[in-house]
This record gives sequence, C-alpha cells and structure tokens, in this order.
Amino acid sequence: MSHTVLLSGPPGCGKTTWILSQIQSYRGPSGYLRVTGYPDEGLAQARDGGLDLAYLRDQCPDLLDLGDLDQALAPHPADLLALIELPQFHPPAQPGLAGVDRRVMPQLQALHLNPDRHLHFGRDPELPRQDTLDFSHLQAWSLNLNATVWDPDSLSSFWFELVNGAYGDVYRAKALMNLPDGRAFFCNWMVSQEGSQFLPLQTLAPPDGRPERLSRLVVQGRDLDPAAIEATVRDCLLSDAVLELQQAPLRQRHTPPTRSA
Amino acid sequence: MARWALVSGLQGDLALYEAIQRDLRQLGRVDTLFVLGDLIGPDRDANALLDRLQDPRRGELAPQCIYGWWEDQLLAERGYRGERRADPLRQQFGQAAVEALQEAVDPGHLAWLAALQFGFIELDCALLHGSSADVGDCLGPESSPLLLLDRLTRMDVNRLFTARSGEQFCVELAGGGIASTVRDLAGERQLQQVVPQRKVIGIGGGLRYSLYDPGSDRIAFRSVGQQPGSRGRGFA
Amino acid sequence: MAHAVISCLHANLAALEAVLSDIDQRAITTITCLGDLVGYGPQPNEVVNLVRERSIPSCQGCWDEDIIEGLNACECSYPSQLAERRGHQAHQWTAEQLSEENKAFLASLPMTLRRDRLLFVHGSPNSQHEYLLPDMDAFAALERVQTADADTLFCGHTHRPYVRELRDGVIRVRVQTPADPQAAAEREMALPVRRIVNAGSVGEPRHGNTHATYVIHDEATGNVEIREVPYDVERTCRAIVEVGLPPVFAWRLRHGFEYAERADDASHVCER
Repeated sequence: MSHTVLLSGPPGCGKTTWILSQIQSYRGPSGYLRVTGYPDEGLAQARDGGLDLAYLRDQCPDLLDLGDLDQALAPHPADLLALIELPQFHPPAQPGLAGVDRRVMPQLQALHLNPDRHLHFGRDPELPRQDTLDFSHLQAWSLNLNATVWDPDSLSSFWFELVNGAYGDVYRAKALMNLPDGRAFFCNWMVSQEGSQFLPLQTLAPPDGRPERLSRLVVQGRDLDPAAIEATVRDCLLSDAVLELQQAPLRQRHTPPTRSA
Repeated sequence: MARWALVSGLQGDLALYEAIQRDLRQLGRVDTLFVLGDLIGPDRDANALLDRLQDPRRGELAPQCIYGWWEDQLLAERGYRGERRADPLRQQFGQAAVEALQEAVDPGHLAWLAALQFGFIELDCALLHGSSADVGDCLGPESSPLLLLDRLTRMDVNRLFTARSGEQFCVELAGGGIASTVRDLAGERQLQQVVPQRKVIGIGGGLRYSLYDPGSDRIAFRSVGQQPGSRGRGFA
Repeated sequence: MAHAVISCLHANLAALEAVLSDIDQRAITTITCLGDLVGYGPQPNEVVNLVRERSIPSCQGCWDEDIIEGLNACECSYPSQLAERRGHQAHQWTAEQLSEENKAFLASLPMTLRRDRLLFVHGSPNSQHEYLLPDMDAFAALERVQTADADTLFCGHTHRPYVRELRDGVIRVRVQTPADPQAAAEREMALPVRRIVNAGSVGEPRHGNTHATYVIHDEATGNVEIREVPYDVERTCRAIVEVGLPPVFAWRLRHGFEYAERADDASHVCER
C-alpha cells in the first residue's frame, strides 16, 4: 500500500536528513518532491535549485522525482513511499492533515499527489527533536555554481569564514561543491548544530574538465553580504588552466567513472 | 636483485664514461645508471660526452642525469638562473675558468642541461649532487653529523647519495637523541627525539663510482678498471 | 640587561603603539624588530615611520623584501588559491601606499642582526620564508642555530610566540670509507645546548586571541618572558575598511585569525 507523507519544518531542522533515512530503510520504491515554501512576513525562502533532490538521488539512484511530470502522471507503483518536503517557518494551526498549508494543495493535485499524513518538525514527536530557533527577518540567498570547481584548501577557508559570520550571521548554509579530482561534497551547516557536515557524493565525475552535475550554494541568515561572498567565491574557483594542471596527472591513473563503494 | 650504478664528475670525459660503461657491462646485474651531475667542466670540450648522454649507444645503460655544480654555474652565467651569475666559480677559479667552461659546451646543449633536475627520489633514497640544501653543499666523512642529519631530514629520506665532495664514504647514523622543552602561552611541554637510522653516502667522482643494491642496502665503492671478479671495496 | 624583541608588525599601528608603550613602562630601552613591518594591515607608512623614529634596529621580513623586489614568494608558500589572491591584493595595495623613502628604508634592512651570541632573523638563518615551528624536528632546529654560530636564535614569521630549549643532544655515527671498508670508525658528537625564541606577532597574532605578542629576554638570567598586550583592535579594523582593503581582513583580525589563513583552519576538510 502506498504512502504519501508531507513533511514540513523550518530551514535547517533536518527534513532532508530524515527523508534520506526513511528512503534508505524502506524496501519498496520511493519518490521525492520538494515544494518551494511560501515567504512569510520578512522570512525569505531559500531557492534550493534542486540541491536536495540532487543529493538524495546521488545517495539513492532509484529515487523517483515526483516533480517530473512524466513520472508523476504515470501510474505510481502500488507500494510507493512518496515523501514531500515543504519548508515552513511556523507550526501548523491545526493538527494532522487539517494543518497543511492550503496554498500547497493545487500543486500537489497537479502532480497526482494526495498526502495521507502530515508531519511537522517541532510538533510531531516521531520526528527528531531539533533546536528550532525563533528567528525573524531571515534573508535567503543562493548562488548557481554549475560547472565550477573549487580549490580544496580555499573551499575549506571560505566555508570556515561563511559559517563563522564573516559575511553576515548565517543561520543555515548548504551546498554542493565540485573538487578537481572529480569528487563533490554536500556541505551542510546549521546554527543549531555543532560544526559542519561534509558528505562526499557517491558519484564521481571523471577528472576531465568541468563536471556537469548540479552545483549550488544556498545561504539563509541576517545581514548577509552577497557581494562579499561572491568576491571570495571567485577567488576560490579554479581557472581552466589551473584545473587542467591539476587534472592531467589524475587522468593517467583514472579508471572509467564509477560509483565508489 | 638489480643494482644501481652512481657516477659523477665526468667533466666532459667521454673516454672515462665509455670505460665506466664497459665496467658495468662486465659486472652485470646493474640495471640503472645515475649520473649525479658535473657532466661538464672547464678542462675539456664536453660536447661529445653530452651528445652521448642524450643519445646512448645500443647495449649501453641509458644514463639518468641531474645537474651538478658545474652545470649550475654555466646555466647561471648563460642567464638560465634569473639574476644569478657564475660568481662562485669566478671567485674560486677566476674569469678564465668561466670562459673555459662556456667554451666547453656548445650553446645547442644548454636547453637540455637546463631541463635537468636537481635530484631524484628513488624509493627512500635521495640522489643529489650536493645536498638538499644546495647543489654546492659539500658533504664528506668528516662533516658534522648534525649537518648530515639535517640534510636527510630536509628531504625526509633514509639514504642520501651525494657527489659534490668527490669522496667515497658512508656515514651511518647509529644512535643518540635530543631533548627539548617548548614553552608557549598554552604552557610547557617536553619533547624527546631519537636519531633515526639513516645514511649519507658519498658516491665518489671521476674514476671512482659506487654501486648500490636497494634490496639489500649494500653499497660497493669501485674504481674503473678494478678486477670485475674481485669482491671490491663493498660492505653491507 | 633586559631587551625586547618584536616581530611581524604588519602595518598595524594601534598594536605597535600598545606594544611600545608596554615596553616603555618596563623601562626597557633596547628593542629589536624581526621584520614584516608591512603587509595586510592599513597603516604601512605610519608603522615604518614609527620604527624609524624610535630607531629600532630591524631585519628584513619576507613582506618587506617582496614590497621592494616584487612578489618573490613561491606559490606553494600560500596555503590556498584564496590566500594567494588575498596576499597579492594586499601586496599591491601596500606597494601603492608606501612612500619611496619608506621603500628605500625597507630595502636597506639587513637579513640578520647579531649581538654577541644572539642572532636575530625573520624566518630562519637560511631564508626569510622558512618557518621554524615549535614542534619541528629538534635536530634540524638545532642545526639552524648551530650553523649560524649562535647560542640563542630569535625568529618570527610564524606569528606564534614560543621558547624552545634544545639540550642533551648526542649523535653517534659509523663512518666507512674505501680505505678500510671493514673497520668502521665510530664517532660521537655531543650537541650544545641552544635556544630558539619566537617573538610572535605584534600586528597579526595567531595564538588564539587578538592580543599583540612580543618577548622580553633578560640576558643576565637568561629568562624569556612572552608578553601579551591587548590593544584597540577595532581601531585597526575600522582603518582596514576605510582604506579599502577587503573587509574580511578586518573580520579575521577581530577574531584572531591571520589575514592569510593557514590550511589548518579548524574547518579544514578537503584532505586528499
């Protein structure tokens, strides 16, 4: 029997992490949809740009993209576990399905998705308890980094500065970043957690030019200085010439693209 | 197990090089020939030797060359070392030697000489002309053990082969240690360090060269023309 | 007699003034500077002027050299591309700001200063760029002091003050030559006691907080005191922004991180 679960919560509360654990422990087929949230007063929603889906599909290659119209309109497998992620700052006014933000329903119906459960972080005890901070005037900013490759030591320094407040108070930062050796990292930081996560993607790109995978930086916080962030990012990204210099020796040792163990 | 031959100080002497090649052929079991610099010198025309090193004859061991002090002086004087000129050579041997050195090498060889490396790292061995500090660093059996240990440490190798002094020797670090106290704003700590088991080996120069077996760590000091059957002057 | 050793001022006037005032309060009149008067900070001329006014003998640091000679540091001396770009930015700005007179002064600085058995250098006796870190190989550390023919070596460059005493050193060697290959001669070298004193940094501290650091050496007792001096960090941070240097320099200074970060920042992850 299929399940369709709508999962909501504020940024950085652990929605994607929880969804990944559900998918990995579920034996049948799973699907995922991230719905863009609705800006409440003074609180901007981050433009995710497919970042979470890209990370989840790297970890679970069979994951269905429920936002893909072709897949959505085809009959769903009978035992599909459909997980819908909805960024939402404030707790629902009513319990259970009655608390789902009405504005989301037309989009779900168009994709033939009809939630049979609604869980909200901070309300439903079966979700991990996170430090859901009270905040106001949250600013969201994102940067498309497709086809960029980072100098690894520069990435390390930039991330350190970013999450420690060099470019404004960062509440949440996540990103997919490419390294010259073909690896990519899902970088994840929340103010409520100690330290950053750096999770390597399973999929390796060949060390042959710029990878085609999605790459993006998403930041939420206060008094952000996007121009300064962009200036620093520019100083961290490798030029074609430097990239080639670093990749040429790797190509000699390279075996065809593969998924690491 | 294959062995290395380590040669230096040919100083343009093709006949000497051919004699060493003959020696190595008779010895057998030598599979790599390293020429640790000083391919050229001021005393004779080096072009024939340089031609041969770049274009070995059939049946000869192909030489793996690095540059030495004389090459460094020539390259400096010819503008391959930035602002630096052959001042050490000028001070030690005079302007005539600088000119003789330039005459000994056809300009057509400069690009090849300039492409030579400072040294090789093979296994845990550094093969250098002088030392990790400088191509002109002259290490010998009487050198301060502290200095030798420093030169090994800089390259982080267990064996350092050097040619600059022209002497054949092996100095083995055989024990000892040092204590130190470091105090900073966080407090004080004691550090203790022992002398690592390492060696500095002088390979000789000219007629005198060395053989090394990396498998057994055995060194043999040889001279050209020494009886191939003799056990030589080797030791484990 | 007690003397003070300062290093790595990095064009931070507020920090230099605070340190000189701390030295003056102790009635110490002999001060030696280990270089890097400029670089990254916002007041290169003011800092050089003050060193000249006070007639503080100084050796040349890598920044002082680079400002005169043009960028000399090899790329690998920067821990990352980002650090390199920022270093070049700071270099260009400093070179534009410095008066010709002050450039000539920096060019005139010697690589080393010596007083009896005390040797003063920026990085190491070998090079302005070499880092003598507190935990470096003890034999290599001793070799630097010994080869320079000194008892105590004062250095800077790492921006972390420390005092290291090297003692009870012995090296035993077995020497073999073709003359008598079977009879190896054994020798033992007893190593002398030597000290390395790193003066830390006045203008760009990196020891965990924002205070300026320097050292006081009492030649009579041999005692070395590592001094920490609070100063008006915000004054320098404001100046960084006002003169048009990257604001992230101010942020780093305010948090006790060097302008040009090392690759061992706490968040360093991308190990190969």
